[in-house]
Amino acid sequence: MDSPFNHLTLMQFCWAFLSISGFCVRVNLRGFKIFFIAIAAGLDWAVYLIFLYYTRSVLLSVFVATTLVAVYCEIVARLCKTPVSVFVTCAIIPLVPGRSLFYAMQAYISADRALASNHIADVLLIAGTISIAIAIVASITNLSMRLMNRF
Amino acid sequence: MSHIPIHEAADIVSEVGRILLSSGATTNRVELMMRKAATCFGYGKTEAYVTPTGIFITVSDGSDKQTTSVQRIEGRRNDLGKISAISHLINRLQMESCKAESPSMSVTKLRAELYKLDNFKPWPAWFQIFSGGTTSGFFCLLFGGSWLEFAVAYLVGVLVTGAMRLAGMAKLNNFLLNALGAALVVIFAKTLDIWVPYIKIDNIIIGGIMLLAPGLSMVNAIRDTMSGDLVSGTARGVEAVFIAVAIAAGSGTMLKLWDLLGY
Repeated sequence: MDSPFNHLTLMQFCWAFLSISGFCVRVNLRGFKIFFIAIAAGLDWAVYLIFLYYTRSVLLSVFVATTLVAVYCEIVARLCKTPVSVFVTCAIIPLVPGRSLFYAMQAYISADRALASNHIADVLLIAGTISIAIAIVASITNLSMRLMNRF
Repeated sequence: MSHIPIHEAADIVSEVGRILLSSGATTNRVELMMRKAATCFGYGKTEAYVTPTGIFITVSDGSDKQTTSVQRIEGRRNDLGKISAISHLINRLQMESCKAESPSMSVTKLRAELYKLDNFKPWPAWFQIFSGGTTSGFFCLLFGGSWLEFAVAYLVGVLVTGAMRLAGMAKLNNFLLNALGAALVVIFAKTLDIWVPYIKIDNIIIGGIMLLAPGLSMVNAIRDTMSGDLVSGTARGVEAVFIAVAIAAGSGTMLKLWDLLGY
């Protein structure tokens, strides 16, 4: 794979899109919101993959992907007249480190404590990075809304 | 519509708060929506204090009339559809009360509408169960599974979502429910693994676990902390950590048991 812009990334986008549309139905959302939320989740995962290819750093990719998608959510959720947290919650689901959690547990079961600690650190770091990215975007949005109201 | 009795206003406002909080809204939003609703009824000096397990509200119009109510919130579920529906309703109420001085939306109508929203189910149960399967199946593909693994993960997702629905009726607490869910994911996946050849179990289990991952609590914790609600931010953060621990405990126990059984 010499460039990340190929059909494989597109397919990954589709899988994230479809799985998050299923998730939206499970949390009782309905209407065209589901479409925009699923696009957000697909973008989240695709941006993560593309940045992972170029930077080779998981945390940086997670940070960039979450930041971009949080900005997308802040804009589109206001257009759809939906609470922003509804959008952000569903959109970051593909990056939530459920995979590392499972691998850590599997490593503990097979008595490989070094590997397990490695995966647990991954879980904490990825969760922390997602938090920081969302927090930054939320604060900046708050600030800019206040500035816009003032002038 | 400022001429409704203060007790009635307090009742409706705390009902709005209860619905929002028990479907998993952030503290900031619950407080905002309750204040908006009270302002529409003409009680502009209303103060609300919300934690993840309870609501304290004082409805007041700034003069001598005021009343306080406290409400305990029991179960919390993830119901994002209800949050956006209630927000719509409150915004509509605000628009109407700004436009016309006459009460265009009467109290009984508002109550009926709240009741309808609270009991509204946009999708039938079987469709939600099947979309649980969709989620876990496509997460399996996302993490590099094959089409056969997708089929197995779909089946696991459907079974686990159905079983969680049944377990939810028994009013288990959140920790136990998630541990049970993760254990069921591993049980179903390992059982199907016996009969279906050529599949790798990891991606299937991860797909199932993503169904339970505490994304909502995590986002709510961050947003609460950022908006200054430190109490609920901390509480929700601990909730997210505990759900993760529950998932790890449930799946770990079952993996170890199957390991001991020798499969």
